[in-house]
Amino acid sequence: METFSFILIQTLNALSQASLLFFLGSGLALIFGIMRVVNFSHGALYMLGAYIGFTTARLTGSVWLAMLIAPLIVGLIGLLFEIGFLRHLYKRDEDAFLLVTFGLTLVIAEVTRLVWGAPPLQVPLPSGLDGVVFIFDEPMPLYRIFLIAAGGIASSIIWLFLERTRLGLLIRATSQNSQMVHALGTDINLIRSGVFALGCALAAVGGVLAAPSVTASLGMSSAVIDAFVIVIIGGMGSFLGAIFGSLIVACVQTFGNFFFPDFALVFLYALMLGVLIVRPGGLLGKEA
Amino acid sequence: MTTSSNGRRTLLRGAGLAAIAASTPALMRQAMAAEPIKIGIPCALTGSLAVVAEQTKRTATMWAKQVNAAGGINGRPIELIIEDTGGNPATCVRKVQQMVERDGCRIFTGITFSSETLAVMPRLGEWDSIYVACGNGDASMTAEAFVPNFFRGNPSGPTEARLLSLYIKDSGLKKFYAIGMDYSWGHSTVAAFEEEMKRNNIEFVGKVFAPTGTRDFSSYITKIRQSGADGLMMVQSGDDANAFMTQAAQYRLGDKVKMFTTLIELSTIKAVGEASKGVIGTMRYMSTYEYPENKKFVEQFTREIKDTPDWNDGEQWKALQFIGAAIKKANSIKSADLVAALNDMELDTVKGPAKFRACDHQSLEEGFVVQVDKVNGALLPVLVKKYPWDQITPACRKKNFDA
Repeated sequence: METFSFILIQTLNALSQASLLFFLGSGLALIFGIMRVVNFSHGALYMLGAYIGFTTARLTGSVWLAMLIAPLIVGLIGLLFEIGFLRHLYKRDEDAFLLVTFGLTLVIAEVTRLVWGAPPLQVPLPSGLDGVVFIFDEPMPLYRIFLIAAGGIASSIIWLFLERTRLGLLIRATSQNSQMVHALGTDINLIRSGVFALGCALAAVGGVLAAPSVTASLGMSSAVIDAFVIVIIGGMGSFLGAIFGSLIVACVQTFGNFFFPDFALVFLYALMLGVLIVRPGGLLGKEA
Repeated sequence: MTTSSNGRRTLLRGAGLAAIAASTPALMRQAMAAEPIKIGIPCALTGSLAVVAEQTKRTATMWAKQVNAAGGINGRPIELIIEDTGGNPATCVRKVQQMVERDGCRIFTGITFSSETLAVMPRLGEWDSIYVACGNGDASMTAEAFVPNFFRGNPSGPTEARLLSLYIKDSGLKKFYAIGMDYSWGHSTVAAFEEEMKRNNIEFVGKVFAPTGTRDFSSYITKIRQSGADGLMMVQSGDDANAFMTQAAQYRLGDKVKMFTTLIELSTIKAVGEASKGVIGTMRYMSTYEYPENKKFVEQFTREIKDTPDWNDGEQWKALQFIGAAIKKANSIKSADLVAALNDMELDTVKGPAKFRACDHQSLEEGFVVQVDKVNGALLPVLVKKYPWDQITPACRKKNFDA
């Protein structure tokens, strides 16, 4: 393989992985940024998205529909959880959020095991995306190209929403001074509920998009570790940071696994450690 | 009123207990009255091999139910203590220690990862306990890491590597690459396979180890495509095997290399579907194996669990068959008595006749090479070739097969 084609193929691989990581990490970053809640259940919600996607695809015969339904259901679960549990804890210290979201992780894991069973489940590729394109004679799955496009479009829409709309402005203002926003007559409970639901839905999008490449399995919930690494590197609570964090983590994993497979994990955690030392708030975090 | 209410409740409770007692067979009642034999199963019910641990759990539960219904062993019922280790060696050691100290458990089986078993093994003597493995393939367990209270009921990784290399020898393939999971089982199996390839004058062009729980294999697949290999050996299990095989199919890797695996799992075939078609590998246990003990097991399993037993169901059942036979023979649950009973014990198992070799406590049994193919429209492992144990099992206390 020529150097240029190799770099191109590996870059596309990294971008498709970054896209999945973006859906996972951005939800966590939004929830932390706006609500100061460390959502330990993010990996479990990502897994739940994959399982609901499996069932939707099985019942409707359409993975495309699964990509819509799974985030809606998981977002709704997130909304109910915020209203039922988190809303009563905002005056408590942050440990309360850790405990209650860890509890949600356990509940989701056991319910998933009871409903779907332990064996992993196959989620097919969406119709029309099961082929490959040849780039310098090397096959690149169409689905990977779709993932890159999906990540790019979703990140642009969310960024525009946060930066260019009035609601986005209120959300950003809530992250900076929620009491002031409340005093100006905005229902911050509504904003918190909406943001938590959106964050959970984004995790579910990540899960249902990942499922055709990894199968839906109970082990998916361990993805929460990747989500934390992205948020720590990119910046606590920064949406742009989550985008950069996803790109950095994906590039380190993809190129690291190729050139230094024995050290790729070490590089990633060393990078995280370095960021924590130099910029404790993350590359684009506000607490640096 | 309160007294009357309490009295009625007591009466009802008594009547309920009497009804249960009357409906329980006499042998079972006798067994329940005796002190239970506790068997500890610290397995990775969460994490990338959760599906394997669930097989251990369901099969062990079915075995205990059957034994207890028949009056227990030597009149004593079986009590299983099943706990999640998350696949973490330190957690596994802690769980086993808890079971020893808190529950008085001295018999263990069903640990999922070799790395967990290797952490537990040095403590078995101190805990006066035995451990019978059903799915731990690391080579060193019956070599330099061997301890007298450890028994391995499944074939080791190098045994499977040897088994597959005997088959590959005549395949006409010239260059091989290997991908393994980055822990002891993956490393020792790939090392044994590399040695076998060199012995067969097949070029071994490279190897790579992916961390357990890897989700994106695209760069590994690029590496394999670039290696120039025409054959690929996979040493993977659970979620990692599923993700790799799914992505390998998406990248059309099968068009470039012939794919082999040291471990074919029914759960993987179901999870990845067409992506597994044509893959050749070894299978530790086959539900379709024609043998009377297996036929009985599969019938019972299908009836009670309503599924087809996967490799670890069969291996776990076999390990428990050995444990049960040893307790019966020794009429004791002391580790020294059980070790003496298991040494050189021969048993008719679900995999045919098997024997625990006294010198290293390795089970000696036939090896199966299978290919995933469509049978009546369903993807299934189809037996391609069988090899006798003496052609595939490393010599006593040796890691690899020495021809």
